[in-house]
Amino acid sequence: MKRARNLLVAGAGLALALILPMAVDANGYAVRVLTLVLLFAAMAQAWNIVGGLASQMSLGHAAFFGLGAYTSTLLLIHFGLSPWIGMIASALVGGAAAFALSLPTMRLKGHYFALATLAFAEVFRVAANAWSSLTGGPVGLSIPYGEPSFLMMQFQDTRSYYYLALSAFAVVTVVFAAIKFSSLGYRLRAIRENQAAAEVVGVQTTKVKIQAAVISGCLTAALGTIYAQLNFFFDPDSVFAALQISIRVALITIVGGIGTVVGPLVGAVFIIPLEELTNVLFADKAAGLSQLVYGLLLIVIVLIQPRGLAALVGSALARRPKTSGAGT
Amino acid sequence: MMVSFIQALLDGLMVGGVYAVISIGLTLVFGIMGIVNFAQAEFLMIGMFVAYFLWSVLGLDPLVGSFVAFAVVGALGYVLQRTIIKRVLKAPAVAQVFLTVGLLIVLENGALLAFGSQLRSVSVSYQTLSWKLGPFFISVPYLAAFAMSVLSGLALWLFLNRSWFGWAMRSTAQDPMAAQLIGINTDRLRAIAFGVGVGLTAFGGAVVLPYLSVFPTIGGQFIVLMFTVAVLGGLGSVAGAVVGGLAVGVITSVSALFLPVQLQNLVLFLVFIAVLAFRPDGLIGSAR
Repeated sequence: MKRARNLLVAGAGLALALILPMAVDANGYAVRVLTLVLLFAAMAQAWNIVGGLASQMSLGHAAFFGLGAYTSTLLLIHFGLSPWIGMIASALVGGAAAFALSLPTMRLKGHYFALATLAFAEVFRVAANAWSSLTGGPVGLSIPYGEPSFLMMQFQDTRSYYYLALSAFAVVTVVFAAIKFSSLGYRLRAIRENQAAAEVVGVQTTKVKIQAAVISGCLTAALGTIYAQLNFFFDPDSVFAALQISIRVALITIVGGIGTVVGPLVGAVFIIPLEELTNVLFADKAAGLSQLVYGLLLIVIVLIQPRGLAALVGSALARRPKTSGAGT
Repeated sequence: MMVSFIQALLDGLMVGGVYAVISIGLTLVFGIMGIVNFAQAEFLMIGMFVAYFLWSVLGLDPLVGSFVAFAVVGALGYVLQRTIIKRVLKAPAVAQVFLTVGLLIVLENGALLAFGSQLRSVSVSYQTLSWKLGPFFISVPYLAAFAMSVLSGLALWLFLNRSWFGWAMRSTAQDPMAAQLIGINTDRLRAIAFGVGVGLTAFGGAVVLPYLSVFPTIGGQFIVLMFTVAVLGGLGSVAGAVVGGLAVGVITSVSALFLPVQLQNLVLFLVFIAVLAFRPDGLIGSAR
């Protein structure tokens, strides 16, 4: 019953997402914002595997994201490789990086894990800025502009990028849901609830956590490729950014509802347009005002409902005849 | 080579003394409340601005202004703890992290709005002065900042170990329930601890003003450094932060000898991750 209802809701949501861009200007600002919403929802969903299911608060996902953007773009610039293949290479690099990060950090908990991952992403930002011969340094990289074609992941209209981001979100969400309801998901949950107890009943905690981290790293890096193609330009400070990527992605998930399937989308639908709105409203008034508003909202959200908007909606629903929320 | 190495060591120790003081604030807040304050470096920035304006408006030397910076930021911290931070003390780590990250964004951009993004620096008579000591040079502003740091460190030590407040604070950290039972107002003590913690960081910001310019985003340059120092010494350990501060000062200063300036931070990050991985309780053992 519940599963059927969930599938129905997902199907209706997907149909809505498919026709939504038809309602607005094909190359307009609205499509671009919607595309960003989906891209960040996908990134948040990938983060959710580590942050939500394994309950390890990573603040370093920008490392994988940036590696993905650089890997495919460098392959494209130097070898003319299609970004679709580049995306696979990116995923491999991202997974390898996640594995490398896992080894020293797996035993860390809470704040310590957050700090270590934050520093990990900063290593890449500093290195990408310094290693100019490879990365172009602070100047950044541009996607070579060519004839728009599906093969080169370049499109004439913004709407195509929207569908690209939608597909990416769908893929990441399916992966997330598959993990959540698989034995891996149950093992992760066991570790989250009580690591020692999980180990006693035979969960190989280290192995399971590394699996989750690597999958999350792969997906995030692949999304980095899509971001590069969408944006046509990036530099170390934008793709390896602690605040703009790592923290924002975690924030989106937390606002939407950590560990839930719908959380990242809810969070992105709320946060990204809000940021755009504050930018549009305040950007020309004074530098910093939009960010200030953003920070204030962050504080208010944490103080009102630390478990996220989904929980807020969930508790509102719970007052009516019992419906189970979005799970935990 | 040997001379420049020892010179780097001396500079590193002097700068490291300041690092110790700004990080003590971070470690103190964690030790007593169990909160990692991501916004801590912003209080350093505010302390620098307080000292800067005292200098530019009243002509007060930043070394004197540092005491005002301590008081002003300490009061701000007290209020922030009682109004905002207090509410997440029992919340999950996620809420604590994001609350302080939100605070970071607000403070940084608030400063950007109020003061603009330009660099400001003070000019004092001893700014470029240095004493010759054999083949070595002792920079006077470095030495002054170091001396002030030692002074504040001693004052904090007396405060924590010889005053009723210090005793009550340590009781609160150890067992809040028992502390309350013997009549300690733990809420108020936590607020004082937070005030003293961010006040010390502001103090450290003020004393480096003679050799560093202030701008709204300067906190970003110190945040990882502060965490490295605090974790190196063991989060929550004040004595550890002193050792960690000196170590980080020497590491950055010595690595500057053979690495380009952009890569200095990289060394710091790698040290940080390595320490977290191998000695998460700090080099000199667990404090709590």
